[in-house]
Order: sequence, then C-alpha cells, then structure tokens
Amino acid sequence: MTVSDISKRPKFFAQDNVYMPHIAVIEKIIEETPGVSTFHFNFKDKKLAKEFSFESGQFAQYSVFGVGEAPFCISSSPTRPDHLELAVQRVGRVTNALHRLGVGAEIGFRGPYGNSFPLNALKGKNLVFVGGGIGLAPLRSLIWNVIDNRDTYNKVDIVYGARTPADLCFRYDLEAWDKDKTINMVTTIDREAEGWTGKVGMVPKVLEEVAPSAKDAVAIVCGPPIMIRFTFPALEKLGFTPAQMLTTLEKRMKCGIGKCGRCNIGDVYVCRDGPVFSYEQIKNFASSEY
Amino acid sequence: MAKKISKKDIAQLLKTWSQQFTVLAPSRASGVAEMAEWDGKDTSFLDWYRNTTVPPKASFLPPMEEMFRFRKDEEGYRIEPPDKNGRKQLLFGIRPCDARAMAILDMTFEDAYKDPYYLEKRRNTVLVGMGCTNPCESCFCTSMGTSPTDPTNVDIMLIDIGDHFLVEAVTDKGKELITKTKDLKEAAKSDEAEAEKSKETSYNKVVRKLDTKGIKDKLRDSFDDEEFWEKTAAKCISCGICTLLCPTCYCFDINDETDKGEGTRFRSWDSCGFSAYTKMPMENPRSEKWRRVRQKVCHKYEFYPMAFDVIACTGCGRCIRLCPVNWDITQVIESVPDRVKGAK
Repeated sequence: MTVSDISKRPKFFAQDNVYMPHIAVIEKIIEETPGVSTFHFNFKDKKLAKEFSFESGQFAQYSVFGVGEAPFCISSSPTRPDHLELAVQRVGRVTNALHRLGVGAEIGFRGPYGNSFPLNALKGKNLVFVGGGIGLAPLRSLIWNVIDNRDTYNKVDIVYGARTPADLCFRYDLEAWDKDKTINMVTTIDREAEGWTGKVGMVPKVLEEVAPSAKDAVAIVCGPPIMIRFTFPALEKLGFTPAQMLTTLEKRMKCGIGKCGRCNIGDVYVCRDGPVFSYEQIKNFASSEY
Repeated sequence: MAKKISKKDIAQLLKTWSQQFTVLAPSRASGVAEMAEWDGKDTSFLDWYRNTTVPPKASFLPPMEEMFRFRKDEEGYRIEPPDKNGRKQLLFGIRPCDARAMAILDMTFEDAYKDPYYLEKRRNTVLVGMGCTNPCESCFCTSMGTSPTDPTNVDIMLIDIGDHFLVEAVTDKGKELITKTKDLKEAAKSDEAEAEKSKETSYNKVVRKLDTKGIKDKLRDSFDDEEFWEKTAAKCISCGICTLLCPTCYCFDINDETDKGEGTRFRSWDSCGFSAYTKMPMENPRSEKWRRVRQKVCHKYEFYPMAFDVIACTGCGRCIRLCPVNWDITQVIESVPDRVKGAK
C-alpha cells in the first residue's frame, strides 16, 4: 500500500479545511422501519448544492451539532442529484440524535470521502446485489445508478433480506425493482411470518437457491457482518472468484480521511482506501481484523 | 561556517529570538517536563533537561485543540473557523529522536488529505535541536535511524562542546535565522573538532540496542499467533500512556462541547490502547486487550513501514520509562518469532 491517490475522486467541498462541515437542511424523513429512517437533505448554500458531486459507494461525515459526527454512506444515487439521502439505524449517540431531528433541521455534512464502486469495471457485467437489513443503503445508490444507465450493464439480480417483514428497508424501492422487468428481485425474511408470501430463509441460503451465474458477473454484497461472512462462501460455491465479489466495510471513524487512526485494517484505512473492497483485497489485508 | 554560543548567553539568545518568535523551551513549570512558552529568563533546563516527558508533538497536535465553533441563531447554524493565529514559533532544544518523530508525523498529516491545523503550526515553526550528552538507559535511538546528535530533522542544531554549544544551520530557514542572529560568534576549527568528539561520546552512551531487521515480515507472519500476543499483552493495564506520550502516535478523537446552541468541536489525543477507540454500537473489532497491544506494535513496526517505508518509532524510550508495569517495546520486538528462518 502506498499513499493513496485521491486526485481522481470527486472533490471534497470544504474550503481550505477538510474538517469544516457544510450546513445541510433536512427536507423529508421516511421511516423505513421502527429503527431506521431515511433523511432527504440538501445543502443550505444553493451554489454548493449545484456543484456538489459524488460517486456511488462514497460516504460522508454527518454532524448533529453539539452531539457529534458519524460516518454514513450516501444512500441516494448521483444520477438523481436534486437532493441527497442518508439512511441510518438508531443505534448510537449520533444516530439517536439524528432520529430526534425533524424536517427543516440543520445538520453538518463533510465529504464525499472514500472510494466508490468501480463503475468502469462493472460495465457490461451481470450484477448480483446481495443485501441485508440497512446494508441495502450503499447498494441502492449503485442500483439506482445502474437503472438510470440500464444499457451500460447486463443482467441484474437483487437478493435482499431482513429478519422480519417489518425490518425490510426501502420498501418503495423493492416494489419498484420488483416491477422492473429487467431486474430479478428476490426478497426474503429469516423466518415465516403471517401474511408474508415471499421467500423465507437467510440471505446466503436464498442466494444459493437463486443461483445467479458467475459468468461475466460481479457480486456486490452489503449487510450485517454475519451475513457477509456467510455470503462470500455461498458465492464461491456458485463459482464466483474473490475478485468478483465487492463489499463495503464499516468501522468506527472520526476524521474520515486517514488521520485519526481507528478504522485501520493493517496498513489500510477503511475511510481513505475504502470503504469499497473486493473480497480478494480483504483476503490480502496485512491484518485479519476486518 | 559554524557558529557558537556560550551556555551563559543562552538567555540572551532566546530573548533575541523572542522578538520574532514565540519561543518554546523545556520547562517544568506545570509539574511535568514539556515544551512550554519560555518565561524570558529561566535557562535552568540546561542542567536538568534530558528529554521532556510530554513529546514536542504537543506543540503541533495539542492534547486538546479547537477545530471550530458553531452557533445557532434565527437563520440557523453558523460555523466559525478558529482564528488563524499565524504565530511564528521557535522550539528550542528539541532532541533528535523527537525531531525525527515530527518528520514521521508529517507523513500522515501531509498524506492525501492535508491536515490544516497541524501543518499550519508546522510551517510556522523553527526547530532548534539540541544534541543529547546524557541519554537515558531506556533510549535506543541509534538503532532507529537517528542518534543523540543527529541534525537531520531540525533547522538549527546545537552540539554541546563544554561551556559552549556549536551552532549549525541545517535548513535554509535555519541558515537565514542564524545569519540574522548577532548573538552568535564564529566557531573555530577546534570547536568543530570538539563537537565531533562530543558526538562520538554521546553516540557511545546509548547502550540499549534493538535489532529490527526483518521485523515487518516477522510481525506479518505472527499476526494470527494469538498465544504470542496474549503473552505479550498480559501485563498491560491499557492505561494508554505509551501511546499518548509517544512522539509518533497521532490518533485523535473528535467531539462536540455545547451549551445552548453554541459550542465547540475539538479534537483530543486518543489511544488504540483503549477499547472504546474502535467500539461501534453493534461490535468492536478490538475489544480484547491483546488485539489492541498487537495493533500498537504492528502499527509502529509493520503497518507504518508498509505505508511510508519507515518504522514509526524513534527509540526515544518514553514508553519504556513511563510504563507503570514495565512493558518494554524492545523486549517485545526481540521476542517476535522468526517463523521463516525456522526458530520453530
């Protein structure tokens, strides 16, 4: 690993100080599940709102002033730039504070940071999206990106699961993708539930049933660590090589730019060198601590 | 040509430099040895100073530092960056080990995204190094790419030659300042010869040695040896002192402090020795102590060399001197098994 080249990434918009957040205003809040909400927001500075750009897979540092900052992916697609979306589960101090905010509230935003899904390498490929719970957030940025440039990509399979029907995030997206004839959308829940007519079973198992071909394919995986751990072997069984599997990693981060130290895996900083990695890269990390 | 200054004229020299800079010099005024603003008269450090307990990184990455202030009014939040103080500092008496540590820290703060707070202070500071004549038992700088009198990473270097210091400019910045400083006298050939002797004496006083050959590979091959790491971490009490007071450790936390819609975002030193350091709401990759000790050792001797081709340790010996349970990095590094050459 050498010093990472960030010169080709979308510019971060932070005057001359990369730690300085921009003010963004929450425009809409969608309650996805009892613990997960999606916030639609826009920059207060209209010029910035116009100039801002990012790529699917990148993340940002979001502030609730007075509470603190936390990193989350940008869950909307750069192909739909009229606002940005942030989906968060209420689990910690900052996420709890975010969930207490209403429409019109101001948050801090700095970014975009990190690398992104390698769109060029995905061109012409069959794409297999494997998601669990709120892990769909970074995937949906890419999925909408693919849909908005549908001719650039080949077949699309989406296998998405949650514990119960109530835990399924982005149901409006799931419906839209289900209706889309160019997409094979499979939704599953872990255990039988009343009124559920879809698939039942853990995501890796259902993925094996769906059995997408590994030929000219790339799998993009994101979900709880336990799901990811079982999904990689499931994909290997289907013939996917580690280089054909992408995921996005999550760590505690403070700075977001490879300084504060804590998100490292060996010499790799997840914030600076990731968060998107192939399973092949992960296997070659200097540390087995991912 | 080198210059020299009598030890009893140091106060005058610092007074001269104080007109142009905020002069920081070794001080025990706070109860702990550190680089602090010079009081305008005291040069007693020339007698007691071996090294500061708090490393000079504190002058560039303070233990606690305001990043910006925020304030809420009718129109919403306003963010006010801290005043660019633009203050020119002169750090007097930095030891070569700590000067090397600054060069190592620069790599991180200049990498990819620039860190404005650190780099501004760095740019505005002149480092005046002072060679060690009395290294500690815990020092092992000569094994870590530097020496008690190494001038490499300072602007101006002072070498003890008895009742004088030989003063040499190292960088252009140093040269410019020396030329303007009238308090300095021309050094004689004999002074330079004396300095050479002094350097050799100092070098030979560093008795602790550490063989780091192949350490990057050895650590890589030992990464998953849980038993080794558990043994290595056994007596550690996770106090964090070996990282907080390490001159090359830079990890920090970022937090907000607020009162009625007005507040400050600040950063503060943090340590990979603390379990909260990597804790996420649902999981913690380094909840066990041995994982944190492994991170500390590998970061310095394996990961930093992978990223920047330099070990992030300068042999200053603080972590050995200050550890409350006598954990010793040199013993740890020497005990890492050599799996390839066939120790087992």
